[in-house]
Amino acid sequence: MKYILLMSGTQAGVDAYRAWSRKDIAVHMTILRDIERELAESREFVATQGLAEPGEAAVVRGEKNGIPVTDGVFPESKEFLLGYWIIDVATHERACAIAGRISAAPGPGGAPTNMPIEVRRFATYEPSKS
Amino acid sequence: MRYILMMNTMRAGHGVPQWSQQELQAHIAFMLGLNKELREAGELVSAEGLSFPDQARLVRAGKDGIPITDGVFPESKEFLAGFWIVDVDSPERAYAIAARVSAAPGSGGAPLNMPIEVRQVMSAPPPEML
Repeated sequence: MKYILLMSGTQAGVDAYRAWSRKDIAVHMTILRDIERELAESREFVATQGLAEPGEAAVVRGEKNGIPVTDGVFPESKEFLLGYWIIDVATHERACAIAGRISAAPGPGGAPTNMPIEVRRFATYEPSKS
Repeated sequence: MRYILMMNTMRAGHGVPQWSQQELQAHIAFMLGLNKELREAGELVSAEGLSFPDQARLVRAGKDGIPITDGVFPESKEFLAGFWIVDVDSPERAYAIAARVSAAPGSGGAPLNMPIEVRQVMSAPPPEML
């Protein structure tokens, strides 16, 4: 079963992260890369990506004739996707365990960030038998 | 440049929309047609739909990294319903594709004009974070 683990946060959270020391950021990234390598070795890894700054985000609606209407103004409370992991695991519990590992990645001073990670299963359907 | 187009249109407790079979089929046919077009243009990296919010869990690391899961969300929370990752030459092209997605037909065949969040995907962490 494929799951996506979503790491989200507000612009204020991103600004706080930018203020971390270089060392704290380096330790954090090392742990995340270790988790990625472990998942690759256990063949559970599908993909991971970080997203560009929330300041670059746009929301698009299709108006008449499908012409895109873009908007880049968001409420301060809006949670933006910061990054994600796509994994292929045997159970829901395994997906939650991996999310727990990511949540425990170290932040400032090496303490776990305890970031909430949203766990969502991909909707897949049996191929048509006809 | 890679962009992720996010359909953040679901709310807690929501399931399959109360549309007729024909309306659902028209909506799905539109999405499949768009995906085929993007694939043929070499712009589609991936497109996935997620399971409904009632299965979503939020995970935090507890002591010793044990995952603590929570499935209760505020009514206002936006859930990712599905996403597209596209590889395009410009942000304008990403917005144009988002507008096509936004205009997918809903009840009675009218365009839904769903808001689609458009974010650039980073290919790697910036060097200063490694």
